[in-house]
Amino acid sequence: MALIHLTVVTPEGKHYDADAQRVMVRTTGGDVAILPHHIDYSASLATGEARITEADGAVRRAELSGGILHVASDEVQVITRQFAWKD
Amino acid sequence: MAGASMKDIKLRIRSVESTMQITKAMQLVASSKLRGARQRMEASRPYMKVARRAIWDIALHNTGAESNYVVPREVKHRCYIVIAGDRGLAGSYNANMFKRIEWDSRDASCCFIPIGRKAREYYARRGASIITEIERVEGLTLEKCGEIGQQVLDAYDAGEYEEIVLAYTSFVSVLNQKTKLKPLLPLDAHDAPERTNKQMLCEPDADTLLKEFLPQYLAGLIYSAACDSFASEQAARRVAMDSATKNAGEMIEDLSLRYNRARQSSITQELTEIVAGAEH
Repeated sequence: MALIHLTVVTPEGKHYDADAQRVMVRTTGGDVAILPHHIDYSASLATGEARITEADGAVRRAELSGGILHVASDEVQVITRQFAWKD
Repeated sequence: MAGASMKDIKLRIRSVESTMQITKAMQLVASSKLRGARQRMEASRPYMKVARRAIWDIALHNTGAESNYVVPREVKHRCYIVIAGDRGLAGSYNANMFKRIEWDSRDASCCFIPIGRKAREYYARRGASIITEIERVEGLTLEKCGEIGQQVLDAYDAGEYEEIVLAYTSFVSVLNQKTKLKPLLPLDAHDAPERTNKQMLCEPDADTLLKEFLPQYLAGLIYSAACDSFASEQAARRVAMDSATKNAGEMIEDLSLRYNRARQSSITQELTEIVAGAEH
């Protein structure tokens, strides 16, 4: 199964660095889900929930605030100001 | 004569001993601060790597603002954000930074944003043009960095200066720290990826994206540089205080030797006098 590689960083540290099936985040234009083989893409992030479907199918939720979402050849980067897991 | 000199030596030994206690204490404090500082520094590095790449990707897809943020212009006015130490006694840590900027800033009229007490004092004393200043590097928050970032960006947009340079000290190892001048705006061409014809989708659009992300990017960069500099400062101080402690130790050894010699010679002299007295 195709996977994307997700990295979540804030200036205070790296919060996630692993493969995932799906990443859903809230952009300023609304919720966006990134699946494998997505076109290269950038969007500004709003404050809201992020849902990450990990490689084994487990879904993890987190809150994040501001920054950008950057997708380049199945590398998904969430560059944000604040990030906190909900679980 | 011998007695007076013995007293002098004793006093000197005592004064060197108390200096040694101070340097030893400072070395221990620097070591323990270094541990925390290194962790923060390591944690802030991934952001830099990822954010630098992303901002270039967006900037290259943005034709409207490209001239301003990407293409260098002739520099008549330059703004330096200088991160130096909060305290002295860190070897040449502060001096190296000021010397480097002194040399670099000859070709343009410059203004400064000093961060850290030593930087503030230095530029205030020289009567340099200071835009804003921050007292301490230790405990510099991301919010504060955001304020500086926004401030320099606004002034840059208004055309007050054509270049913004971040001056900080990069931590290579405990024994090696390097002063660095990093161009913030226009974006550092060293970070630029190869130009490709690949399409990228931007939402809402590249221009808005860049405007929204730039202040955060600058804040992140300043924060990360401050973490780097603080770790360097502690490392520099630890090394400087370590050698100061060693020197003090050597000095005490040397003085003790002289003290013992003086004591021995005074005893010998007294004995000679007694013996000479008994012979008469």
